[in-house]
Amino acid sequence: MSAGSSSWFARRRPSGRKALLATLMLLVAVASAFPLVWMVLSSLKTPAESMQVPPVWIPHTPSLDAYEKVSGVVNVGRSMWNSLVIALITTAGILVTSMMAGYAFAKYHFPGRSLLFSVLIATMFLPPIVTLIPLYRLVGSIGLNASLAGIIVPNLANAFGIFLMRQFIAGVPDDLIDAARMDGASELLILFKIVAPSVAPAIAALALFAFVYHWNSYLWPLTVLQGNADAYPIVISLSRLLSYNRGAVNTGLVMAGATLAVLPPLILFVFLQRFFVDSIVGSAIKG
Amino acid sequence: MIQRYRASAGIMLTPAATLIGIFILLPMLLTVWLSFQDWSTQTPFSSASFIGLDNFREIFGPTSVGRDFKGALTNTAIYTALSVVLILPLSVTFGLMVYQHDVAGGTALRTVLFSTYMVPMIAVALVWSKLYSPSEGPLNQMLGLVGVGPQPFLSSPRSALISIVFLNVWQQVGYFTVLAIAGLTQIPGSLYEAAKLDGANRFEQFRFITLPLMRRTLLFSAVIAIINAVQVFEPVALITQGGPVGSTNVLTYHIRRVGIERAQGGLGSAMAVMLMLSLIVVVCALFALANRKDQE
Repeated sequence: MSAGSSSWFARRRPSGRKALLATLMLLVAVASAFPLVWMVLSSLKTPAESMQVPPVWIPHTPSLDAYEKVSGVVNVGRSMWNSLVIALITTAGILVTSMMAGYAFAKYHFPGRSLLFSVLIATMFLPPIVTLIPLYRLVGSIGLNASLAGIIVPNLANAFGIFLMRQFIAGVPDDLIDAARMDGASELLILFKIVAPSVAPAIAALALFAFVYHWNSYLWPLTVLQGNADAYPIVISLSRLLSYNRGAVNTGLVMAGATLAVLPPLILFVFLQRFFVDSIVGSAIKG
Repeated sequence: MIQRYRASAGIMLTPAATLIGIFILLPMLLTVWLSFQDWSTQTPFSSASFIGLDNFREIFGPTSVGRDFKGALTNTAIYTALSVVLILPLSVTFGLMVYQHDVAGGTALRTVLFSTYMVPMIAVALVWSKLYSPSEGPLNQMLGLVGVGPQPFLSSPRSALISIVFLNVWQQVGYFTVLAIAGLTQIPGSLYEAAKLDGANRFEQFRFITLPLMRRTLLFSAVIAIINAVQVFEPVALITQGGPVGSTNVLTYHIRRVGIERAQGGLGSAMAVMLMLSLIVVVCALFALANRKDQE
């Protein structure tokens, strides 16, 4: 946070105000964290504890039984693997296409540049449902339906990545690039060996965004897979747990499944949140 | 030299432009084209036959197709408006909480708030369907502790849509809080110093400095919140299937049901076109409003 911000709440104030503010902040944090904390706690309860009235908030004897039972209902290993493959390949594709296009928009002058950029960026604001029906048919007609490739290929490039990369690559000094050109380096080499390292934090942020987004993505995989359970990512497999969602007895099972799906993106976030936040702030301000 | 970089620009742009062209722009044009066609999603595009505005007449007509679509359009409008109206003030409030230096813990609060944004919507839906459970759900039990009777939440047509709005606000408000913080950091501290010298109290500082200088951030947040809100799908598909009595039948869910599950590709495309047009109108209106205020 930059300097000068302390002026908003003036410095001298009754301590009652501070206590009130602290209480409010705590309440907001608790309300925000509660559903996920409850999810994890419930996943550790036994069915008997789940049904107890009044409810047991914290399990007396935490048990991992629910996690074992989930593996009996859905193929957890296979689904997690599918999710990983989808998220990793899609992310790698987005990184390469976004860096290349972002570099072109930031550092080349060519006719129609701003028009092309506007057209591409406009797609950022297009809700996926608008293109879902023809895309479903299109992907089917090139034979990618019901496969992991069908989930991955249409998502290998996106406007947000291009936008983010252009914003940050524009800040790389031209001199650096010109010097490499003098040495006879090819443009691709310059991009990946010289430009990329100087925008590494932005690349990290984009990678995290892309990974989390495509790990979590539901509508497109559900549509394109047409019930091919072998290719289900974890988020689709989880919808099968819904039939267990009636009554309290299986709460633990459902919450164990949810916890498994939440963990990878949440762990990434906890360790790398600085990049997330910086890139959102960067894209909002510079945009 | 120039010629050489023009070729390079072509090489650099080809992968992204080709992919976005084939998988986003082309389908978008196809959606518009299909909206004027009689076409089943299970047949090739070549089997489509031109029927003029019939699809649009039908989705706005008096039959059940029209009733369902108009219901979905209304539900989506209500859902979107409520989401924006709740998210924007909350994000500014939480942003101010994080961005103050008197009470420690701002960064921790930001982390907690933003972490929900990382959670897959499907998990959010599973967890909240349990939290909302009328009999044994924790929310009703907590309401009971403060003397409020059990609420039906997702099981009543009166409260189902707003219950999904709450779930959406819970998940997304952290993202918008970070945007709000970004906006707050852009306001020069000297403005507040000057206002204090002029005797402005805290409310006046907020009203005449913070809010006006946050206008661009709020506009950006509103646009993103609207576009996110019309995409709500998982809680509806998973928990309510559009019910009870159509009260949570929102457009993304409805268009997919018509265009993919019932394979009525022409009708679904006409609905998608109407969604796109509505979005364009709303976003343009927002920008016009913001520009007019700028000129005041």
